[in-house]
Amino acid sequence: MEEKKDQAYFRKLANQLMFDLSDEEANAIVKEFEVLTKQLELLDAVDTEGVEEMIYPFEEDTFFLRKDEVTHVISQEDALVNVKDKIEGHFVLPKVVK
Amino acid sequence: MNYIVTIGIEIHCELKTVTKMFSGAPCSFGRKANTCVNEIDLGHPGTMPCVNQEAVAKAIQACTALHLEIDPLVKFDRKNYYYSDLPKGFQITQQFHPIGRNGYVTIHVDGESKKIRINRIHMEEDTAKQFHLSTKTLLDYNRAGTPLIEIVSEPDMQSGAEAQAYAEAIRQTLYYIGVSDVKMEEGSMRCDVNVSLRPEGSDVYGTKNEIKNLNSISNIGKAIDFEVERQKKILESGGVIEQETRRYDDKTGETILMRKKEGNVDYKFFPEPNIFPIRLDAEWIKDIQDHMPELPEERMARYQETYHLNDHDIHILIANKEMCQFFEDAMQTSSNAKGIVNWLLGDVSGWLNKNNASIETCNLKPEALVKLVKMIDEGKISSAQAKELVEDLMAGKDPEESAKEKGLAQVSDAGALEALVQSVLEENPQAIEDFRAGKDRAVGFLVGQVMKKSKGQANPGLVSQMMQEKLKQYQ
Amino acid sequence: MIREIVENKAQVEETCTKAYEKAKAYQDKLNAVITFVDPKEQLENLPEEGLMRGVPIALKDNVNTKGILTTAGSRILSNYVPIYDAAIAEKLKAAGAVVIAKASMDELAMGGTNKTAYIGPCLNPWDTSRITGGSSGGSAALVASGVVPMAIGSDTGDSVRKPASFCGIVGIKPTYGRISRYGIIPYSSSLDHVGYFTRSIEDACITLQVLAGRDDRDMTSSYREVPDYRALLNADMKGKKIAIFGNVLDAIANENTKALFFDLVEKLKEKGAIVDTFYFNEDLMKAMLPTYYLIANCEATSNHSNLDGLRFGVRETGASMEEIMTNSRTKGFGPLIRKRFVIGSYGLFEENQDKLFRKAQKVRRKIVDELNVCLKDYDCLLAPASSTIAPRLDEASGDELSDGYLVAENHMVIGNFSGYPSMTVPMGFEEGCPIGVNLTCRAFEEDMMFNIGKAIEEITGYENLIAEVK
Repeated sequence: MEEKKDQAYFRKLANQLMFDLSDEEANAIVKEFEVLTKQLELLDAVDTEGVEEMIYPFEEDTFFLRKDEVTHVISQEDALVNVKDKIEGHFVLPKVVK
Repeated sequence: MNYIVTIGIEIHCELKTVTKMFSGAPCSFGRKANTCVNEIDLGHPGTMPCVNQEAVAKAIQACTALHLEIDPLVKFDRKNYYYSDLPKGFQITQQFHPIGRNGYVTIHVDGESKKIRINRIHMEEDTAKQFHLSTKTLLDYNRAGTPLIEIVSEPDMQSGAEAQAYAEAIRQTLYYIGVSDVKMEEGSMRCDVNVSLRPEGSDVYGTKNEIKNLNSISNIGKAIDFEVERQKKILESGGVIEQETRRYDDKTGETILMRKKEGNVDYKFFPEPNIFPIRLDAEWIKDIQDHMPELPEERMARYQETYHLNDHDIHILIANKEMCQFFEDAMQTSSNAKGIVNWLLGDVSGWLNKNNASIETCNLKPEALVKLVKMIDEGKISSAQAKELVEDLMAGKDPEESAKEKGLAQVSDAGALEALVQSVLEENPQAIEDFRAGKDRAVGFLVGQVMKKSKGQANPGLVSQMMQEKLKQYQ
Repeated sequence: MIREIVENKAQVEETCTKAYEKAKAYQDKLNAVITFVDPKEQLENLPEEGLMRGVPIALKDNVNTKGILTTAGSRILSNYVPIYDAAIAEKLKAAGAVVIAKASMDELAMGGTNKTAYIGPCLNPWDTSRITGGSSGGSAALVASGVVPMAIGSDTGDSVRKPASFCGIVGIKPTYGRISRYGIIPYSSSLDHVGYFTRSIEDACITLQVLAGRDDRDMTSSYREVPDYRALLNADMKGKKIAIFGNVLDAIANENTKALFFDLVEKLKEKGAIVDTFYFNEDLMKAMLPTYYLIANCEATSNHSNLDGLRFGVRETGASMEEIMTNSRTKGFGPLIRKRFVIGSYGLFEENQDKLFRKAQKVRRKIVDELNVCLKDYDCLLAPASSTIAPRLDEASGDELSDGYLVAENHMVIGNFSGYPSMTVPMGFEEGCPIGVNLTCRAFEEDMMFNIGKAIEEITGYENLIAEVK
């Protein structure tokens, strides 16, 4: 059964992506989704039977693998330079409940 | 009603590489927090993954040891989810094209051998480590990005004992080829077990439960045994098994509900666009496979053939790679494999256990043990005397010197022994009578008397031989 | 311009300081800069030699610069101080370039107007009531107004080539893998390219020589040798085969644009070029925008999952890890971004991928196959880079995915699908505002692209066009 693509649906989806939507924003997505649905008909009009997905612009195989040597380490200070709250060289969060 | 138990196991192992799976920062255990990282491990904006050659090599070794077919075109995918320990908000893994498929490992339970099929092995990266305080959680990214392989079995196991044997076989194999530390207590090997029950005769699998947090091999067996009983009780009372994630509590020996699974989580897997497919050089793969370290099963066969050791000894010895190394070092100069093994598995292991020590870090050197065994073999000291030397031996002392210090020496001088034998015969006419009457015990008694007279220093073999010789005249 | 600055060693300091002052002076009118970078320290540490020694430049604010604020135009990164330099930041530094500004951009490069930057819109130097286009609008404005001779941008759909058209400058998107993306805050990894703006083809050649080359930190970067593009440069059009992008011309309503274009084509013919019209399958043309929209947004929602306020960026308060993440991402991203993430995530759901994401990837292949048919016979595909001059600030539609979005405004994404080199060069004016022509060539044939660009530059005489900022 297909879920109804309403405000509540997209808000739930947004929450899975760890953000919220205002009513207005959720409404805008409902509208955009209608446009997208129409646009999808344009995609469907292209016959892709037997066509492989194009994942990368170039599809020559590569051979490079990185040698297992330490090339670049940063200091603890640098690691934490972008956060305010730190304890004994750790990043800090409210207790994470598993 | 009888139930068929179905068990599948997913094992994660950290690979023993110098650097991370996708970054040139060092892998570490027990280093200061957030000192073995760079911007890639912290998931900073703009960073890109770069695949570690050695991690791929180690994954190939693992695949080879466990008989998997290797896909020479390496591809990676993203597994998307949000969690505090996942810096990028996705994990790079191999969902669609694992490096290895279709392998097996042979387990031995109750004298029976059984092949457990392995569905796949894929490479991925580890998450950060979290430390939970009373109100806060601390995050250390040193572990983030450490190379992992995940080994996924087919649901081929039917008991806790089989599952335990499987995990042990995997552990031992990876430990042997040196691709991982496989320490469950330190988390370098982690097992998730799926258990389901179905009534005998049914071919539809029951609802499976996943058990996490198994921090030792023996707990795998215990947790499954508990879980099987728990599910059986529910089914027998007409209940329904719900899909759950449970964890094992080793204090109570029970599995405890962590969370109910509501449908399948959608990880929105898609191919990692920043890593083009990598074609592994066939020569390189072959070179890795041609230079595989010896596998446990190969070593077992070799020990049987070369040293004629018995199965029991071999199994114990094989379980300890360092002990094997010691044994093989000793066998460079010793000709008595059985003697060396008896000492290693007997007094040496006993001492190590008692002192919480290990063979590779203790002071015992292979040459010293070889010498000791040789002294016994040559009759210079008796086995009983040798036991008095264990402490000295383990302290790194030369056995010959410490035997001298302790005044331990076997009397093997024929003249001296002759006199002792003669006097014992003279003092025990009754024993001679017994011997003539066909009582074999009499010989042992007489030899014992000689040993007693020599205060244990006479060479028992020689005494026995001389006594037999002397008694011939009374036949 | 670049060559003159480098050769004029004695005036390097003055040139850079002036550029810095000029950028500041224009800020009120253009709002092109997010962070000004004082050139003093860089000037003290210039290398002895370098293809760009002492040349003042601007970087789009998604180029990571160690110790210098880098926001990608987003509130969530408005306090982010990178702990490393992007590969190209290192290369530019080694060549002696001097960064004087981090330029404004659409939030996370996801826009075509530069109106979604968290600092507000960037304005067009030719007419400040108009937009620059985006997402690399700040960089385009700084080059067009003569502040710097070169500025870095990035191009996922047409984010360099469209603003180049609106700002009357050269906008380059080289071959995918030609320039390392390491350290560029991404949008959509399989479509993202590092690009740049200059005011002459010669400067474009010099710049690519500095930026191009293999970088092991970007596994998609190419091993191909980097030629001396400037030495190879010639405007000889004899025998060059040019395909006019028929579908695009048919879709353009603006007669002036078409007149400018066909006038240029005539002159190219006079120079010896062989010109035909090539038509793509119309279904593929119509599918181009939804294909782009899906691939870009699906990859973007995943790429930006790291922006959670935990390790860097603006962290909002919250009682739990989930609350902190949710509050940080809700307040940190603008509504347009969140909308796109929702749609992208929808396209990635397992049950939707076949119909959406993977379908788009298949259509992408068919579009590129069609382009290959064209470029098998022709040296380049040519079309106007936009149907009109830059829209006014209040006309620009924001970023709705509307039925009215024409083929004419979205065709340049073909260069991102294929990864082939593509550039915009100014071709004329309307109402005092510029409009450009776009050409796309075969993979790694940047030299061919520069040669055709040079011929166009000679025809129009639009070398070193500078807008007078009023």
